[in-house]
Amino acid sequence: MGALLRFVSLRHLFDGPLRTALTICGVAVGVATLVGISSINRSVMAAFRSTIDTVAGKADVSIAGTATGFPEALLEQARATPGVQHAAGTLTVVAPVKGSPGESLYVMGIDFLDDGYFRSYEGVDRDVGKLNDDLEFLNSTDRMLVSERFAKAHGLRTGQTFQLVTKDGVKDFVVHGLLKESGPVTAFGGSVGVMYFASAQEAFGRGRVFDRVDVKVDPAVGWEPVVGALRSRLGPGFEVDRPDSRGASVETMVRSFQLGLNLGSAVALLVGVFLVYNTVSISVLQRRREIGTLRALGATKASIRSLFGLEAVLLGALGSAIGVPFGLVVGRGAISWVSDTVSQLYVRVNPQDVELGAVEVAGGVALGVLGSLFAALRPAVIASSVQPVEALRRDVAVGAGAVQVRSWPTFLGVGLFALAWPATLIPPPVENLPIGGYLCIFFVLMGATLLSPLLLRHLNRPLAGPGQVLWGISGRLAADNFARAPVRTAVPVSALSVGVAMSITIAAFVGSFQRSAEDWIRQSIPADLFVTSSAKVAGVQNQPMADAVGDELERFEHVSAVDRVRVFPTDVLGLRVYVISLIPEVYERRGRPTVLEGTLPSPEARARGLVTISENFARRRNLSVGSTFPIITPTGVHTWTVGAVIVDYTSDQGTVIIERQHFVRQFKDDQVDSYHVYVDDPSKIEAVRQRITERFGKVFDLYVLSNVELRDEAMNLVGSAFKVTWAMEVVAVLLALLGIINTLLAAVLDRTREIGLLRAVGADRAHVLKLFAAEASFIGLTGGLMGVGVGAVVGYVLTKVVGVQATGWNFPYHFPFETAAQMLLVAIVASTLAGLYPARRASRLDVVEALAYE
Amino acid sequence: MIDVVDAVKVYRRGASEVRALDGVSLSVPKGQFLSVMGSSGSGKSTMLNLLGALDVPTSGSVRIDGREISKLPDDDLSRFRRERLGFIFQFFNLLPTLSAIENVLLPALLSGKARDVEEPRARALLEQVGLKGRWHHRPDELSGGEMQRVAIARALLGEPSVLLADEPTGNLDSKTGAEVLRLIREATRQRQLTVVMVTHDPRAAEVGDRLVRLADGRVVGDETVRQAA
Repeated sequence: MGALLRFVSLRHLFDGPLRTALTICGVAVGVATLVGISSINRSVMAAFRSTIDTVAGKADVSIAGTATGFPEALLEQARATPGVQHAAGTLTVVAPVKGSPGESLYVMGIDFLDDGYFRSYEGVDRDVGKLNDDLEFLNSTDRMLVSERFAKAHGLRTGQTFQLVTKDGVKDFVVHGLLKESGPVTAFGGSVGVMYFASAQEAFGRGRVFDRVDVKVDPAVGWEPVVGALRSRLGPGFEVDRPDSRGASVETMVRSFQLGLNLGSAVALLVGVFLVYNTVSISVLQRRREIGTLRALGATKASIRSLFGLEAVLLGALGSAIGVPFGLVVGRGAISWVSDTVSQLYVRVNPQDVELGAVEVAGGVALGVLGSLFAALRPAVIASSVQPVEALRRDVAVGAGAVQVRSWPTFLGVGLFALAWPATLIPPPVENLPIGGYLCIFFVLMGATLLSPLLLRHLNRPLAGPGQVLWGISGRLAADNFARAPVRTAVPVSALSVGVAMSITIAAFVGSFQRSAEDWIRQSIPADLFVTSSAKVAGVQNQPMADAVGDELERFEHVSAVDRVRVFPTDVLGLRVYVISLIPEVYERRGRPTVLEGTLPSPEARARGLVTISENFARRRNLSVGSTFPIITPTGVHTWTVGAVIVDYTSDQGTVIIERQHFVRQFKDDQVDSYHVYVDDPSKIEAVRQRITERFGKVFDLYVLSNVELRDEAMNLVGSAFKVTWAMEVVAVLLALLGIINTLLAAVLDRTREIGLLRAVGADRAHVLKLFAAEASFIGLTGGLMGVGVGAVVGYVLTKVVGVQATGWNFPYHFPFETAAQMLLVAIVASTLAGLYPARRASRLDVVEALAYE
Repeated sequence: MIDVVDAVKVYRRGASEVRALDGVSLSVPKGQFLSVMGSSGSGKSTMLNLLGALDVPTSGSVRIDGREISKLPDDDLSRFRRERLGFIFQFFNLLPTLSAIENVLLPALLSGKARDVEEPRARALLEQVGLKGRWHHRPDELSGGEMQRVAIARALLGEPSVLLADEPTGNLDSKTGAEVLRLIREATRQRQLTVVMVTHDPRAAEVGDRLVRLADGRVVGDETVRQAA
């Protein structure tokens, strides 16, 4: 086998260096995309986890409440619980950094005396151990130790001042010392500050509360009884758990974000597999005589199969070897692209933190090699069926793979289409993991691929006319050739169509979502101005403001109403839901929320605990009008009843809308994330905006957005969440173009004699050039059209099945006509361009040699 | 009228040189049917390539109808072939995707002529070679002899002044081969066509007016067919 591989396969690969290079390049790009994406996924997860894990340190058990924290006294209760050896309370604040939009500092307020049992800090220029006696540090409310990374990023040294945004406005802080980036200081992408807890409570206006208490358990007692004891002692308003169990819902949380990424990388790999399939099938067709000779000389069927299998493995291994390190580059490049979005939606991530783990490397190599092997299976079987007698035949019909209607690809293709819709009915096995939807998409793509040769075979007639008109006789011949080897032509056509289809799918999904979200903002929150601090949109990144700001805003001239909106993330029924508190009198009178079920609760109903929830929360937790669910609050666990289900696109996890006065009372939180300001005279909006900026701009890191600007911002956020997915579709289309070059180069070889004949009967170089360019444009046209058709279907499935299962949102589907037209044009133009090189090669063939070619 | 003067063709094979034609001079008057014979490697295919404007000599000159073709650029050679020459090959070389009539029309279509103008002539030619009613058959639906008839019709469509045939019977049984030769002979005599036919087969060579024998790239014999017989 080794000798066969060395003498036959390797020589063949070296004889067509360009085609071999294109294939290896294709595998490399596929693997790089896959590795890049899995490293992004890993680093996003790691970013989530690190804040949980590294901060938890050596804690056996941690106690957490809601985002507003819990009273200090609870620490003493925990300490007094039997089995608890040590307990330390921590206050955590994510404070936006003034002057660098989108960036926040993770500030931990700790008691160094207690904290030493759980975490260790290492000072750069200061002995952290001595801070307990450092009165300057303990007694000031503006001194903070910051991570070296943060200091370096902002050019800060000890003793220098920087500004953070707090709910009471922008405040100055002094760098008291630098911390090495290790242990808890690696959390939050290394953007960490440490203060004395009492100073932090004061500086950030948090009152005498902690956000978390870490507990070290007496090993003799064990953690289970201690958790039980703590739970019964503290009551139901707290989460008492092992620190590692807290990260469990992280997967659920980022899954909708990863949905697009995974889909994109799978498509890139799929197109890479197409490319290998293409190369190996071409190689089998072209080497029929060689295979026949080998068989005549005694090679067994099995050894022929192994030979082609090994060839593919070799290509796959080489491609993977290049692709894996390249994947790290892709990952880093892509994460810097999406880090803003991820930070805005979920958690801060740094491009430098993207790393390749053993899993990504092994996964990349395995998929590259196995994918290539898989792609080679069918061509290898075909190769092994070549009869020895074919070695003796002259003019073996090369590449003219006949397409039978009654053949297994047709049956399988039709079967997959038939199974596509039933597949969508499979319920997700895990929270928002739409296996059925993905299966359906896969079935549609594979079904279209399998049926494409049949379709192409019948396209010569419809294409011949336009071909003749556009390119003369060359166009007519190109149409014939196009349908002549449908099995081979089908591969680049399918690869291109998959790339085009997925671009259209993403455009359909994103476009449908954007349109619905835009309508929602316009209709449900028609405020004239939106006032936020530190981020344009209220969510993870903004800094809540004090309630008093609202009182002042209401007194502004021309301001007719102000809604005080708090967007409060908390865990409800296992989802990181946003509890939105607002003033229903403003919200319902000004906007027209789209009610899907029930009626918006009256003031009396609200007082009885009736709330409005978003459709996605309702769908994901199977809630309907009358259903009840608990929320843990600082004043205990409260049960709420669903009064109405409405359309709301604030969070993919779901939203619960609670009247502000009830929220403030129960959550002990009167901060405001976003002031929705209604102006009585539209011509005065600009003036009001200016006055708000003048009054609060200096105090807060303020953003005042008009309704249109808010909508634009929301559209951008959605668009940029899919930026990487888009890029991957571009990669897929590029890979498909490599496939077109590959196929046409092979066609040039196959038809060398024919080209010679054409030249002999008087065709000039331009005729031959046009012949292949026209064939390439037909590949582009059919691939594009097929892609548009498949994309329309898959886009519908993504929007109406996968999207609904993953996010719970069910928005109307809009076909992206503009993208479809663009992609069709791109497919045709790019394919024609890809065909130019093979066409040039064909036109430059020496006539005499071409005629003598066998 | 063909005039070859001291034609030399040198091929490079790696480091070595092969003199495929070594100073051949030959004159073929209009209307003559010339058969060229020679063993493998004698240079007969090279000569046909030069006469067919498929290749140019390394030195010497090749004139067809008074036109010196050895210095023509590639696209001019293509046009020359299209307008003045007709080819018949051993393996017929029909395009498999085209029907019989379309294969015949191919040179005209390459010249950009209108199909409806040329089609009646193509039909007439097919009828003349005995393929009436088989216009729309594709090559894989035709026998070897029929395919060669299509090739003959194709070669005649452009009203060439010279017809070049490369072993036209090499792939046919003797009866069909004789039939095809008769067709070529008749068709070219009517049209006063100059014919150069390369063949292995002495009986095929007898059909011509004159027989030139080549060996090692030189002319080693030149006789009228009656003498040869």
